[in-house]
Amino acid sequence: MTEAVRTRRRRRATLVGVGFSTPWLLGLTVFTVGPVVAALYYSFTDFNLFQSPRWVGLHNYRALLSDDRFLKAVGNTVFLSVIGIPLGLALAMLVALALNFPVRGQPLYRAIVYLPAIVPIVTATYLWRWLLNAKYGFINRILGWLHLPQPSWLDDPSWTKPAVILITLWTVGATAVIYLAALQQVPQHLYEAAAVDGASSWQRFWHVTWPALTPVTLFQLVMGVILSLQIFTQPYLLAQQRLNPASGGPGESLLTYSIYLYQNAFVLLKMGYASAMAWILFIVIGLLTALILLSSRWWVHSETE
Amino acid sequence: MTLVATAALAVAGCSSSSSGSGGKTTIKFSYLWTGQEAAALQKVIADFNRSQDKIVVKGVSNPDQQAQLAGMTSANGAYDISDSFGSNTGAWASKGILEPLDGYISKDHYDLSDFVPAGMDQVKYQNKVYAMPIALHTFLLLYNKTLFAQAGISGPPKTMSELATDIGKLTKTKSGALTQLGFGSSSGVGTDYTTLAMAMGGHWYQSGKPTPDDPANVQALSFYVDNVTKKYGVGQVQKFASGFGDYQSPQNPFFQGKLAMVVDGEWQSAFIKDFAPKLDWGVAPIPYPDGRPELAGTSQVTSSILYIPRHAPNKEQAWEFMKYLESSKAMAAFTQALTNLPARTSLLSSPSYQQFPNFSAWLDELKSHNLQALPSLPSYAQYIADLNDAYDAVNRLAKTPQKALASVAARVKSYD
Repeated sequence: MTEAVRTRRRRRATLVGVGFSTPWLLGLTVFTVGPVVAALYYSFTDFNLFQSPRWVGLHNYRALLSDDRFLKAVGNTVFLSVIGIPLGLALAMLVALALNFPVRGQPLYRAIVYLPAIVPIVTATYLWRWLLNAKYGFINRILGWLHLPQPSWLDDPSWTKPAVILITLWTVGATAVIYLAALQQVPQHLYEAAAVDGASSWQRFWHVTWPALTPVTLFQLVMGVILSLQIFTQPYLLAQQRLNPASGGPGESLLTYSIYLYQNAFVLLKMGYASAMAWILFIVIGLLTALILLSSRWWVHSETE
Repeated sequence: MTLVATAALAVAGCSSSSSGSGGKTTIKFSYLWTGQEAAALQKVIADFNRSQDKIVVKGVSNPDQQAQLAGMTSANGAYDISDSFGSNTGAWASKGILEPLDGYISKDHYDLSDFVPAGMDQVKYQNKVYAMPIALHTFLLLYNKTLFAQAGISGPPKTMSELATDIGKLTKTKSGALTQLGFGSSSGVGTDYTTLAMAMGGHWYQSGKPTPDDPANVQALSFYVDNVTKKYGVGQVQKFASGFGDYQSPQNPFFQGKLAMVVDGEWQSAFIKDFAPKLDWGVAPIPYPDGRPELAGTSQVTSSILYIPRHAPNKEQAWEFMKYLESSKAMAAFTQALTNLPARTSLLSSPSYQQFPNFSAWLDELKSHNLQALPSLPSYAQYIADLNDAYDAVNRLAKTPQKALASVAARVKSYD
């Protein structure tokens, strides 16, 4: 009897729980899972948004492999990620270490470093367009004072990607703040013990600070990979031209994976082709994330140890 | 599914009952124009509504082209009539988005003979009419008279070799850096190669097939490379162009005297009046290649069009409204509000356009026998994207014009 009541209560609790989460579940199904599954189907079809999709099997996937623009887009995205992610993490860590020094005005410095992260990305990129302007830009003026070469940042294909990385590094404060929080979790007594043992500052960093920062680094690395492989806004806005808003930039040097996907979907209305690209990216991000998480066993120090 | 079906039925029920009970049918006109232009259009709509006892037009400004496309995907379209560019006709007609208009035209014995032929070219696909031109645009050589006088040049160049000489006279450098360029584009490095190639006698399509590497097209690109990019140095030209202000602002490099000559459209008549009222400027035909005077007055024409989506709920009423917008009176009011060219031959001589400085030159250009429109084909967007890549490579001197256009020719083979 009591057993039956308990079961009924439990079932009731479940129903109430499901009831409360229904709006979210519906949203997830209709707006996320549905489109993702639909895109998988469309990726095997020739679909232009208006006529019913025509099944073409693996044709889109095969065509991508011999599409030189696709390969160029992959190359550009890999460049931005391989250079941009480690640079971003290293810089964020250095900034966090600097901000952790007990000096006067420390809260002010922290605020200044974080400030760029609250500027909307579109506004910031438009500002950078002018900062990087080859003729009037402040960046080149400073380089001029230093007697350094002044590149045509936005017109020279070999400088456009460094320009994008520069813009992403500008918002390093967001990552630095998380590192800063992790730094403050490091028990002081470990440093004291290390000092007593006569450890140099490098040894203190490598044996005390770094292990404490690895869990945060793991998180930042995964987020960095996801964001970087999907990078769109900065290159899109830097490459934008009058009458050609979805340009790939000079020599297609800013044609990232997401921009090429967008061009196919919304300029050329090749939805099937774009869906195939989206699914490849989805799988690659999934695989990379899994690889990073697997590798964490060898380099991430869990705090419970 | 059932929910959607019920909703659709309910909507259908509503609209049929409203028109059935002797009331007016409301149709929705979604357009890309905004701001001042939208305000002008609303006046034309209000005039129509006053003249009507059967149809009410509700105009909605929606400049988002993605939303415009999305509005046509469902079986029951989101609007009844809209506008676009002639270059989209082929792509959209081939995907079944547009309602063919031949049935309406023959039923009403609607007279097409007054429409500028090159403008009608862009609204046809496989010999069917899918849209109507509401305004046309064409390109001429604009020149700065003050800079011409300073350089001791009496008038605009007539031939390509005169153009080359004038570019030399009108280009100035100061300690190696360009301070004034004889001929260029207000929106960046290069010029309007597509139009310049037509003036050279080139064709971008021959009998429905793209012909990017037509020798005259190559010649047009080489003309600019030899007379500007290579002559003054690609780095200098890039640096100079990166200092250009916004196209639609007083900082436009032509308004500022940084560029002595540009190839641009009729709307510049209004832009210059607004942004650079003191500019002393003239307008002339684009020069023709030496020894080929029969090519004088060649230019490109593009169009703004009105269309009815295939899934529009009230197509008959939309056609009635379209006829009104295409009438001489409404078209004149509309094109004058936008400072665009009318699509009707009879309006080309109308004195009402005299209010715009130098505008008659563009009106006259529409009477030229050498006017070319790019045919509106399904591959248009892909072709333009590939050509833009080629132009970019040529502007950076990464490829010779011959090689750049040959690589487009290779890509063209894979078009559907």
